[in-house]
Amino acid sequence: MGMLSRMTMIVKSKVSTVLDKAEDPRETLDYSYEKQMESLRKVKRSVLEMVTNKRRLELQAGKVEAKVEKLTSQAKEALNAGREDLARIALERKRSAITELQALEEQLAGLETEQEKLTHAEQRLQSKVEAFRTKKEIIKAQYNAAQAQVRIGSALSGVSEEMGDVSIAIERAQSKTESLQAKAGAIDELIVSGVLDDPLNMGKDEIEIELEKLSSSSSVEDEMKALKDEIGNDSTKQLEEGK
Amino acid sequence: MIVRILAEDQYDLPGKYIDELNSIDNELVELVEDGNATDFNPKLEEMLNMVRKNGALVPIDELVESDLVLPNSDISFEEATSLFKGEGLIPN
Repeated sequence: MGMLSRMTMIVKSKVSTVLDKAEDPRETLDYSYEKQMESLRKVKRSVLEMVTNKRRLELQAGKVEAKVEKLTSQAKEALNAGREDLARIALERKRSAITELQALEEQLAGLETEQEKLTHAEQRLQSKVEAFRTKKEIIKAQYNAAQAQVRIGSALSGVSEEMGDVSIAIERAQSKTESLQAKAGAIDELIVSGVLDDPLNMGKDEIEIELEKLSSSSSVEDEMKALKDEIGNDSTKQLEEGK
Repeated sequence: MIVRILAEDQYDLPGKYIDELNSIDNELVELVEDGNATDFNPKLEEMLNMVRKNGALVPIDELVESDLVLPNSDISFEEATSLFKGEGLIPN
């Protein structure tokens, strides 16, 4: 069996066989319409979920970006203070933060495409459902049992196929975001349990602590020097006075 | 002949293109059997472009069943393979 016949079969198997269920075809129309609305709600919800997921990733990316900037300025500060060792640590961390940032950006781009597809699917289904509703009312108004069966059949299979298409789009989008969420969740857990250093930790890290020590010791040195100068001046004065 | 490209649109494709569709379809099957992931997506794109070029877009408010359903253009080779293993489009 070829690729196309398989694909066709899969989509058609997603189409519910609502047609035979009701005795009166008019009931079938209403029932199917309810299903369509449900399908539409589902795809709308999926789009919203996608937006939430994207926002979460964007937030993470923003934090990593800030981290990169911070590490850059830390490296500079360390070099100014003559601590090449500290600057090196900061730059190494900056490297891995950048790698992380790139991965996040790639995932974001993936979600973006997925969201566009779902939105397209949503708009299509919306139009199809509206067309179905119009058709349904016409068929019901001019109801004639013999003819109705045929007309209902084609309208139903047309819209049901659209629902099949949309449900595949939703499934694909979900399976893509699920693996993403699992990964993010696993990292969160490791951070909470303390196994993993929080890569997004915005608190003080050891580089910062070292730099602070440096700056505080240098300000102590400065003060010391100032004091010495003062005393020195004083003693010189005294010496001079004592002459 | 009504042809649907998944996650895209439906096209009304003149019947004379059925042979061309079938032959690309066979090539796709061979690529999957050979595990040739490199040539798969370009070949699929060739098929989809043929339909997009020669088919007339079915108006969006028209409700019509397709005779054939074509995969979405970004289907991965893994997804295509699982399609043939009978696992369906979404691998578990």
